[in-house]
Formats: sequence, C-alpha cells, structure tokens
Amino acid sequence: MDFLQEKFPDAQVATQVNGDTEVLVTKDQYLNAVKACYDAGYTFCSVVSAIDWKDRITVVASLARINPAEVNARTIHVKADLPRTGGRIPSIVALYPGANFHERETYDMYGVRFEGHPNHRRILLPDNWQGGHPLLKDFVDKRPKRPRLVRYRYAE
Amino acid sequence: MGPQHPSTHGVLRLMVKLDGETVTACDPDVGYLHRCFEKLAEGKTYPQVIPFTDRTDYIGPMLNELCFVEATEKLFGEAITVPERAQYIRVLVSEINRIGSHLLALGSMAMDIGAVTPFLYCWRDKEKIYSLLERVTGTRMLYNYLRVGGVRNDLPEGIIGDPSDGEDKADKTFWGFINYFESYVYPQWVALVTDNRIFQWRTQGVGCLSSADAIAYGASGPVLRGSGVKWDLRKNLPNSIYDRFEFDIPVGKENGDCFDRWLVRQEEMMQSARIVKQALKWLAENPGEIQGKVPRILKPPKGEVYHRIEGARGEIACYVVSDGSPNPYKVKWRSPCFTNLQLMPKLCPGHKIADVVAILGSIDIVLGEVDR
Repeated sequence: MDFLQEKFPDAQVATQVNGDTEVLVTKDQYLNAVKACYDAGYTFCSVVSAIDWKDRITVVASLARINPAEVNARTIHVKADLPRTGGRIPSIVALYPGANFHERETYDMYGVRFEGHPNHRRILLPDNWQGGHPLLKDFVDKRPKRPRLVRYRYAE
Repeated sequence: MGPQHPSTHGVLRLMVKLDGETVTACDPDVGYLHRCFEKLAEGKTYPQVIPFTDRTDYIGPMLNELCFVEATEKLFGEAITVPERAQYIRVLVSEINRIGSHLLALGSMAMDIGAVTPFLYCWRDKEKIYSLLERVTGTRMLYNYLRVGGVRNDLPEGIIGDPSDGEDKADKTFWGFINYFESYVYPQWVALVTDNRIFQWRTQGVGCLSSADAIAYGASGPVLRGSGVKWDLRKNLPNSIYDRFEFDIPVGKENGDCFDRWLVRQEEMMQSARIVKQALKWLAENPGEIQGKVPRILKPPKGEVYHRIEGARGEIACYVVSDGSPNPYKVKWRSPCFTNLQLMPKLCPGHKIADVVAILGSIDIVLGEVDR
C-alpha cells in the first residue's frame, strides 16, 4: 500500500498469497500505522491476533475497508514484533471498539499487554488462571492429570 | 443472567446491572466452552483440523469447513485446483446449511421472547435439512465433508430430484426441499411470526444500532446488514464461485433494531434458496470430477494467509501460518459471534431486562463458536 510506504519508509511491506498486504513496523510506529490505515478508510477491524515465532511474538491487526460499492477489497495486516516475555503495545480500542475482545483474547493466549485497554482482563480463561498463556509454543499444561475413566467390567 | 439461563443458547453468563427493571450495564462473560481449538490444531495435520472446525459453529459447520479448506488451498497457490463440480457442491451444501442456520436463529429468537410454537416448526424443517445432508455426507450434524482440493464424495443418485418435486419429497430431494421451503415454510414464517403484532411490539425499537457503530464494533453478517450496510463478502470479496450466482443482499434500515435483523435473516433464506436452485440446475447437467490432484501428504509452502468468507452469522475468517511442515504452525479463528457479542454492552443499557433476551436472540450467537 502506497500511503503506508510513504509514511513509514523503513516498514517492510509484503504481499500474502491471496493479495493481502502485510506491513511490518516497529512497536513505536504500530499505533501510527494503524491510525494511517484508519484515515485511509480501513475502518473495520477484522481481528487482532499474534504469532509466536519462538524468538519473538508478532502482533497482527487485520484491518479492512467496508465500502458496499467495492469488490475484492483486500485486507491490511499491520504487524509489530515484540519480545517474547513482557511485551507491551498500545491498544487500538479507542479507534476500533471492535478490537476490544480480540485484544483481550490475545493477552489471554499470548501474554501481550495492551496499554490503554479499557478492560484489560483475561476473557476465555478464568480470571484467576495461573497456568500461563496457552498458545505460546513452550506452554506446558501444569494441571494435575485427571484419572482416566475406566468402564467397569463384570468378571467372567 | 446465566450461565444456565435457558435463553442463552448454551453457557453464556451476562453480568447485568439493574435499576429496577432497567438495565444500566451489561458485560458478557464467556469461556465456559473453551477448548482451545487453535492449540489443538497446531498438533494436527491439515486434513485432521477440518473436523475441529465443524465443532466451532455447529449450526452451520459447512461454512467453517469451507473457510479452512479454502485457506489451505490458498496457501498452496496454483498447485491445487478444485474441479468445477466440487465448487458447485460446496456452494450447494453451504447455502443449504445457511438456510438451516437462519431457521434455527429465527426459531430460537422467537422462543426467547415467548413464542414457543415457531421453535417447533423450525425443527420440523431443520430435520429435513439434516436428513438431506445425512444422505450426502453420512452425518447429520458434524459433516467433515469438504476436503482440500474437492469434496469427499459425489452427491448420491437421485438426491438432486426434479424441479417439479413437491412437499412429499422435501426430505428426499434438494428440489423437493427448496420447493417446499419457498411455497410453504417461508410464507408460514411470515404469517406466523413476522406479521404478528405482539412480536413486532417486542422487537421494534429494541436494540437500535447505527451503521457507523456497527462497523466500528466489528459487527458482520445479518447484524451489519440489519443496520443498513449493504456488505456481503459473497458479493464484495467472492470466495469459491459465488460470483457466478445471482442473488440480492437484503438490508435493514439505518439504525436497525431487532426486527430489522430478523427481516434480514428471513429474506436471506430466500436468497440462499435462489442460489441453491441455480447450483442444482448446473449440477444436474454436469457430471465430472469432484477431487482435484493433491499431494499425498499436505505440506503447504511457507507462508501466511488470511481468508475471510461470509458465514451464516457473519464474517468467518482464519489466519493460517504454514512453516512447510504437515502441521499448521498457527491457526487463528475469527469467529463472528465472538465479535458480535461485543455489541451487548452497547445495545442493552436503557432497555428492560426482558429486552436483553430479544437483543441476544437477534445477535444470534452459538457458544461453541464464541468460546472455540
């Protein structure tokens, strides 16, 4: 996308196999890049998620345009790399209220903190969950093993 | 309210703050059905993930399969081509599924606000859809029917039927069902519920959502269209072969209420029936291959893909990352219900507690998909 290339000359722009645009920016530019997309008409936040690459975590905000007259409008994925533990990134809920649950889920599953989120809690796992963040690649399930149910058989 | 309140379609807890009978705040508490499908998918091969996608939105599972299967095909790029007949079969089963899903959405919403009879009529007709798809796929509910590169098996003999088939063949042939649906089921819904004055009193002016808010809150599907935004990914970002079919997009009015969302779903069923008829006409004349050539072990090249399709409840999308191994490196499931549920805190305040149930019904959530 040209407008992102102009504003962030050192951002890495790539194209996915289906034509979507990927923009990798630094953590500090992330919010500005999202704002630039918002101003360019990408007012629909499809999803916010993250990818655990084992040495870093990439946060992905997938933004789309909703214009009824337009056919085949592709999505923009704004990405930012974070350290594996204790990663912090600005929240985009002020721009996209629809990103609220997705950011909470990303925190829940990857442990990425979103600064400025209005309700920064776990969402799918219980609030008092102590077992870590399940979608990290090195997650170990520390819960005690449940006894396997064995069907009672009559002695022959 | 919840997690066992009968109107919540599963196990959802709504934390509702009340002033007398009036709701002042509402916060959905989800996660009771959480299975971490995304973590499970990382340990499975691509074909093994398909049955898991069925279990997210179990009311319209074909559309979930379609999303994941097409995303995998996209990862392969040009290497996999899907035969035309398989594409038509995919559209056929997806649209039949959409009709079934909307029937249940309408039935359960009517039941939530006190009309129990329509729910039973909805199951009478949904049962026919189950029987039809059982003959095609072998399973009634969780189909595991679509394959990367095609579909598992061709349609059984005689299931397409004849355009003159009537009500007596509604659970035996697709034409029979569509004719029965258009001539009997749809007019019955309109007469029984939509034109019902009590129903209109309960839903009109309740849960009004402006189109700007709908887009900002990430709403999609009938909720977005109910607010007057003419946006349907089947038209605006056509996947599969949806660009070959003729159909309209029903929309509600600006600032749409529960009744508009109801109308959108009701009209969408008729549009799906239109698509099904076109697909049936093509399928009756064109026999052929149903499975394209795929490698024995599916190892997509390294890459990422984000694939969005129009599901029954809204935009289903999945973000698949491949590292070149037989297992997906990451699967992210964007479920429409999870996103649409964010509207509850926005829509509920100011209404009575009984309206919360109507709003929840009009958003039409499936908890299997919310919690994944």
